[in-house]
Amino acid sequence: MADPIAVPWIDPVVEVYKRDVDRTLLRENLKLAPEERLLKLQDFVRFLSEVRDAGKKAGLGR
Amino acid sequence: MTDFAGIIRALAGAEVDFIVIGGVAAAAHGAARATYDVDVVYARSRDNMDRLAKALAPLAPYLRGAPPGLPFRWDTETIAHGLNFTLTTTLGDVDLLGEIVGGGGYEQLLPHSVPIRLFGAERLCLDLDTLIHVKRAAGRPKDLEAIAELEALREERAKG
Repeated sequence: MADPIAVPWIDPVVEVYKRDVDRTLLRENLKLAPEERLLKLQDFVRFLSEVRDAGKKAGLGR
Repeated sequence: MTDFAGIIRALAGAEVDFIVIGGVAAAAHGAARATYDVDVVYARSRDNMDRLAKALAPLAPYLRGAPPGLPFRWDTETIAHGLNFTLTTTLGDVDLLGEIVGGGGYEQLLPHSVPIRLFGAERLCLDLDTLIHVKRAAGRPKDLEAIAELEALREERAKG
């Protein structure tokens, strides 16, 4: 029996979602080494965390 | 905020057998979506569960989202009696999974993992095809955008 993980298939719902993927971000990431990609992710998450904390201090949100 | 490098180093430093999956693995492959925790599949051997217990013990692991004060003990017995743990630690959130839907456990996933150089050493990460497969197998509507991004990433990589 074929390895189910190795069998690709096309999901029409995913194809619709795929239209909204920003491929420029993916292309930029592919220029980086894997560790650089994770450091970029860490910076982004840190930024989001700071924004969220600032929002809380300002009494915004829940 | 989760310290991705810190958690991966803590596991690797204790010689835990694990495979990075989920958003961190996706990011290592080139995905751009934010993720807020580290997901790993760990080997269920007794020795490895011992190492896992020791690796995270200094990080004060606790059940994420649970009320404070529960008599939660982080040790080999707790790991052996459970399977999947969603934890918060002093380095942030980590999901420790003994098995995942559509992929199985560590041994089943090993042939579908690739070594990727991260934070000073080679770490095993789930390969892109299998990341897509297990996301699909999970069948969660919230994953549709992530699946679309991973498939687009696979297409971009294929273009070279």
